[in-house]
Amino acid sequence: MRDFLKSTRFKILLAFLAFLIGIMIYSVTKGGYSVSGASFLNSITKPFRAASNRISMKMENTVDKLSNADQYYEENERLKKQIGELNAQLTEYDAIKAEVEELRKFVTIKEVHEDYLLSQPCKVLGYVTNDPFKSFTIDKGSADGILVNCPVVTAEGLVGITVEVSKHVSTVRTILSPDLSVAAVASSSGADQGIIEGNVLSSENGRTKLIHVPKKNKLKRGDLMITAGTSGLFPKDYPIGTILEIGLDSNGLSVCAEIQPCVDVSRLTSVIVITDFSGKKEEDKKNED
Amino acid sequence: MRIRTTREQHILHIKTALRWIVYYLLIFLSFIIMTSGTLYKPILFVPLAIGISIRNNLYGSAVTGAFCGLLTDICCGRLFGFNAVILTFFCIAASLLFELYLKDRFINFLIITAAVSYIQCWLDYKFYYQIWEYENVGRIFTRVSLKVWIYTVISSVFVYLLLKLVNRLLMPKEHLTIEEAINTNIQSENRR
Repeated sequence: MRDFLKSTRFKILLAFLAFLIGIMIYSVTKGGYSVSGASFLNSITKPFRAASNRISMKMENTVDKLSNADQYYEENERLKKQIGELNAQLTEYDAIKAEVEELRKFVTIKEVHEDYLLSQPCKVLGYVTNDPFKSFTIDKGSADGILVNCPVVTAEGLVGITVEVSKHVSTVRTILSPDLSVAAVASSSGADQGIIEGNVLSSENGRTKLIHVPKKNKLKRGDLMITAGTSGLFPKDYPIGTILEIGLDSNGLSVCAEIQPCVDVSRLTSVIVITDFSGKKEEDKKNED
Repeated sequence: MRIRTTREQHILHIKTALRWIVYYLLIFLSFIIMTSGTLYKPILFVPLAIGISIRNNLYGSAVTGAFCGLLTDICCGRLFGFNAVILTFFCIAASLLFELYLKDRFINFLIITAAVSYIQCWLDYKFYYQIWEYENVGRIFTRVSLKVWIYTVISSVFVYLLLKLVNRLLMPKEHLTIEEAINTNIQSENRR
C-alpha cells in the first residue's frame, strides 16, 4: 500500500481527480451555463440521445399500451360517451341559437309596430300536399288566439292569411294564391295603389302579381309594395314584395306588375300571426268577441 | 274446401287482425310521407285503398276507402269528405269488380288504380281550380294534376308488391269450420 501511495500512478490519478474537482468548481462559477467541454459533448451526443430517447419512448409506450390496455379502453369509452354528449349539447345549442335568432326577428316586428297583437311564433307543420300555391299548416290554432282571416307574417314581409283554424292547427293561404287579394301601395310614392293577387303562372316561380294599377302611375322596377290597409284585413304599411316587371293587363285598361315577395313562401320554417292591429275590420272584431 | 278446426279458427282471427293492423300501419306511413316536404308527391292512398279493397270484403273496403279519403283531404287541404266520398265509391266498386269479374292480377290492379287516380285528380282539378276560372288554369292540370297522376301510377307498383307480401303472409285461405260444414251439409240435405 505504501508503495502504491508513493508510486507515479497514484500521483497521476490524484492529479486527475484534482482536475475534475477543478472543473466542478469552475462549473459552479459559470452560474448555470455549461462549460465549453460539456457544451461540446452535448452537441455531439444530441442526435444519438434524441434517437435513443425516441426508441426508448416507443418501447415504453408499447409496454404501457400492453400493460394498461384495459385502462385505456375504459378511458376511450368514457371519452366517446363524452363526445356524444357534447355533440348532443352542440346540436341543442344550434337549435336554440336558431330559435333565438328567429325570435329576435319577431321582436323587431313588435318594436316597429307597437299596435300589433302577435301570436306566439308558429312552426310550419308542413305544406299542403300538391298545392301549386304553397298553402301550409302551422302548429297554433284557436286555442292560441288565432282566428280565421288573421294576417300571417315573418319579419321580412307578409306571407298570407289564415283560412282554416282548428284548436291547435291552422291552415295558411299564401299571397301566391289567386284566392287572396291584398290592397297594396308603393312605399316610395304612397299613391300608386293596386291589388296583389296570386296567379297560376307567377306562382310557378314563387312570385305573385300586382293588378288593377291605373295607367298613370310612377311605379318602377325595384319599388317595394306595402299593404295599403284599406280592407281592414291586413295592417297598414307591411312589406309584401318588390316589383320585377311592369306591363299592361290583358284587358289593356290597367297596368300590372310581377312581384317578388319579400318572403320565400316555399321555404318557411316559422311564422307569426297578427291577431289584432289598429284599423282591423270591425266585423272581424265583433266575430272575435 | 278443407274443414277447419277451432284452433285454426283462432289463428285465422289473429291473422286477420294482424293483417288489418299492417294495412293501417301502411296507411299511416303513407300519411307521413305525403305530409312531409314541399315536392309534388303521389296520392299513395289511392293505390293503397284499391289494393286493400280488391282482396277484402265490401264493408272493409268501404271503411278503408273512407279513411284513406279523409286522410287525403287532410293532406291536400280539401273539403273534409270530398276525397272520402270518391274513394269510398271506387273502393266498393273495385271490391265488387274483383269479386265478380276480375282476377287478382297486377295488370287489373294497375288499370283500376290508374283509372281511379285519374278520376280523382280530374275531379280535384275540376272542383278546386277550373271551376274558379283562374287565368292559365289549364297549366295546373298539365303541370300538377297529370304529374301527380303519373307519380301515383308509378307508386302503385310498389304498393301492389307490398300489399301482396302482406296478403301472402297474413291472408287466410278459405276454410270451413266443422260446425259450418255440418250446417252446410244439413241445409243441402233439407233442400233435397
